[in-house]
Amino acid sequence: MRLRHMLSAAALAIAAMATPVLLPPARAAGTLTIAQVQDPNNWDPIATFLIPWGAVASNVFDGLVMRDEQLNLKPGLATSWESLDQGQRLRFKLRQGVTFHNGEPFNAEAVKFTMQRLLGPEGAKGPQQSNYTSIGAIEVIDADTVDIVLKRPDPVMISKLAGYGAMMVPPKYTAEKGSAEFGQHPIGTGPFRMTGYENKVSVTLEPNPAYFDGKPKLDKVIYRFIVEPNTQVAELQSGRIDIASNVPIALIPAITASPSLQLLSTTGPTVTVLRFNTANGPTKDERLRKAMIMAVDRETIAKQILQGHAKPVTSFQSTLSFGFDPAQKPVPFDPAGAKKLLAELKLPPGTLISLDFRSNDTTFREVAQAIAGYLTAAGLKTQVRPFEMNLFTNDIIPNGNTGEMFQMGWGGWTFDYDNTAYLMYHSGERWNPYDKDPALDAMLEAQRLIADRGARETALQKIANVVADHALELPLYNLDTYYGVNKRVKNLAVPPDNRFRLIGTSVD
Amino acid sequence: MGRFLAGRLALAVFVVLVVTLLVAWAIRLSGDPAVMLAEGSSSITEQDLKNIRAALGLDRPFAAQYAGFLTGMLTGDMGRSFMGGIPVAKMVAQALPLTLLLAFLSLAASLLISVPLGVQAAVHRGGWADQTIRIVSLIGLSFPNFWLAIMLVLVFSIALGWLPPSGADGLAGLIMPVTTMATILSATNVRLVRTAMLETLGAQFITVARSKGLSESLVLYKHALRNCAIPLITFIGLQFGGLIGGVVVVERVFNWPGMGSLAFDAVASRDYPVLQAVVTVLATMIVLVNLAVDVLYGLVDPRVRSE
Repeated sequence: MRLRHMLSAAALAIAAMATPVLLPPARAAGTLTIAQVQDPNNWDPIATFLIPWGAVASNVFDGLVMRDEQLNLKPGLATSWESLDQGQRLRFKLRQGVTFHNGEPFNAEAVKFTMQRLLGPEGAKGPQQSNYTSIGAIEVIDADTVDIVLKRPDPVMISKLAGYGAMMVPPKYTAEKGSAEFGQHPIGTGPFRMTGYENKVSVTLEPNPAYFDGKPKLDKVIYRFIVEPNTQVAELQSGRIDIASNVPIALIPAITASPSLQLLSTTGPTVTVLRFNTANGPTKDERLRKAMIMAVDRETIAKQILQGHAKPVTSFQSTLSFGFDPAQKPVPFDPAGAKKLLAELKLPPGTLISLDFRSNDTTFREVAQAIAGYLTAAGLKTQVRPFEMNLFTNDIIPNGNTGEMFQMGWGGWTFDYDNTAYLMYHSGERWNPYDKDPALDAMLEAQRLIADRGARETALQKIANVVADHALELPLYNLDTYYGVNKRVKNLAVPPDNRFRLIGTSVD
Repeated sequence: MGRFLAGRLALAVFVVLVVTLLVAWAIRLSGDPAVMLAEGSSSITEQDLKNIRAALGLDRPFAAQYAGFLTGMLTGDMGRSFMGGIPVAKMVAQALPLTLLLAFLSLAASLLISVPLGVQAAVHRGGWADQTIRIVSLIGLSFPNFWLAIMLVLVFSIALGWLPPSGADGLAGLIMPVTTMATILSATNVRLVRTAMLETLGAQFITVARSKGLSESLVLYKHALRNCAIPLITFIGLQFGGLIGGVVVVERVFNWPGMGSLAFDAVASRDYPVLQAVVTVLATMIVLVNLAVDVLYGLVDPRVRSE
C-alpha cells in the first residue's frame, strides 16, 4: 500500500510539473510566427552584433537613419540631415511628436543620451562602441535639432547611424533600469513593442498603435528560437511556423515542392572567399595562388552545388556594396593554364594544400570538397579540414594558425567595401594574420579621408583590383539570403540584411 | 550507521567538488570569451579585450574565480550569464523542471513497457515471445537516440502532421521526446526485468505460491515482481546519470529548452558561469540519487553498513 501511495504522489508531482506545458500552441489569425536561429540573450542595442538581434529588434527600435528594402538610406527618427564644417559636423532635424513605447518623448536630449551611453563606460562593455569612435561630441541645438561632431571626417558615419549601436533608447527608463534590466525589457520607438520574452524560447511583439509611419497590420509576431536548421524546416512543413530563417541548401527542394510553401530570396550581404596564407608555406608564392584561382570553376559551383542561389564574385564584396567595380573581370576558369603554371613552379614533391573551413557549415563542406577536387585535378594534392566554428574564427584565424587556404565569409554590415577591405587587408588587423603590404595600407588609410563620394568609390575599386592582382584570396560567391515562407504570409519584403520590417506584412 | 552516513556524505561532497573543479578548469581551455563577445566589432584592441575581461571578472586568478563560484553556489547566487547578463539561477530555474519532467516521464514510460514485456519473456523463456522481445530490444539498443528522434519527426510531424516537431508547448510536444528516450531505456530495462524475473521464478517461495493454488498473474505480479523490485530500483538509481545524459541529446533535437540545451549553448558560446552551474546542479543530483541508493542499501543490508 505504501508503494501505491508513493506512486500516486509521484504521478501528482509529474502532473503539476506538466501543467505549464499543457497549453496548446497559438497560431491565431493575424499572428505571424518566425523561427530564429539564435537568442541574442540581450536586447540592448549597444551589447550585441548578432544578425538575429537585428532581425527581431529592427521592429522595436529606430535609428536617426534607416534603410529601405533596397538598403538605401532613408530618414528615420531624423527627417533630414546636413554636413557642416567640411564633414566634421553632422546636423540632424528630428521628427516631431514621436514617443517611446513607455510614453517618454523622443527629442534631442534622447539622442544625446543614447549616443553618450554608447560612447561611455557602459558602451565600452559591448562590441558596438568601437564602430563609433570617430564621434567627438553630441551637441543639442534645440529640442528638434542635434549635432554630431566628429573628431575626423567619417564618410561612413551616416550609414553607421543606421547600425545596431545607434538605435535610440529612452533616457529616463534606461537610466533607471540599467543595461541588464533594459536588455530583458527593451523599449524603443519602433512599429512593434516587445510584450513577452522567454529566454531561449520565444519573443512576442505587439503593434505600436502610435507608430509615426502607421500602425502595423499584424496583431502579433512570435519569434521562436530554433537552432537546428532541419528542425526549422520540419516546423515550416508542419505549418507551425510561417518563416524559416535558416534553410540548408539541401532542403530547398523540399520547400519548393510543397504547394503551401515558397522560397523567397534576395541578394545577400555575405560574400564567401578562400583566403590564402600569404606569409609562409607554398602559397607564399603569388604564382601558385594565381594557378589555384585558375583551377577552380566557380560558375559551376554556384550553379550545381549552390543550385543557382549564389553569384560568383570578383572581389570580397557583393554587387550591393559601395566600392563594387562592375568593370572588374574574373579570372577565367582555365584548367590547362593552371596545370602549365604549376608545372613551371616545380613544387617539391609531396606538397599538400590544406583547405580549412567551419565544420557547422554544411553547404560549404560540399563547396570545399568540390574545390579540393578541382585542385587535385590540376595536380595539387589537397585536403579539407573542418574546424569548430568558434575556435576557427576566434583563435585559429586571428593567430595565423590556418592551413594554406581558409574559408572566410563577411557581411560588411555597412555595405561599404571599406568595412571589409580595411579589416581583411590592413596590416595588424585581427582578420589579417598574414599579409603586410605598406602600399595597400596607405591606400586603405587614404580612402577614409576622402569626402567626395565618387573619388572614394574609385579609390575603393582600385583597392579591390590591387587585391586581385596580388591574388590575396580566391574569390568565390555571394550567397543569396533566402527564407522558407508559408504562402499565407502577404507583403513580406525580404531585406538583404535580415532586418525585417513587418509594418506592411499580414497573414491570411 | 551514523559513521557510515557521514562517510558517504563526505564522499558525495568530495565528488561534487572534484566535478566542479574539473568543469571550471576544462571550459577555460575552450578559449577566451572576451574575444567572442568582441567578434562583431570593426576593430578591437588589446585594451578593449582587457575591459571586457575585467567586466566579466576574468582578470582575477583562477583560484579566486573558482572560490567566487563556490561561495556563490552555496548562497544560491549562480552569477550572471556572459551572454546577455541574465541571472544564471533564473535560467536554471526555467530549464531544470523541463529536463526533470522529460527524464521522469521517460523513465515511467519505459517501466510501463519493459516490466510486462520482461515478465513475459522470462515466463516463456526460449519461446517465440522471448526471442522476439530479445531481438527487438537488441535493435533498440543499437539505435542512436538522435536518429530515432529524426525518424519520429519525419513520420509523425511531416508525413502525418499529428505531432509538433519541436518545442515544449503542449502535451503533444512531450510525446516524441518521451517516446525516444523510453524506447532506448526500455531496450536495457526489458533485459534487466527478464534476468531478475528468471532468478526469482526459480525460488522456492514461487513454488509454494503456485502450490497454494494462486492464479498465475497473482504469482507473477504480486509475489515474483515484488522480489525483483530491489535489484530493479537499484539499477534505475544508477541509470539516472545516463538518463540525464540521454535527455541532453534528445533536448537538442526537439529544441526542448531544458538543461541540455542550456549546456549546449553555454559550451558553444564559452559562457563559463552557465556551464559551471548546469554541470554542478546535474552532478549534485546524480550524486544525491546514488547516495540515496547507498543509504537504502545500508538500511536493508547490515553487511554494507559495517563495511
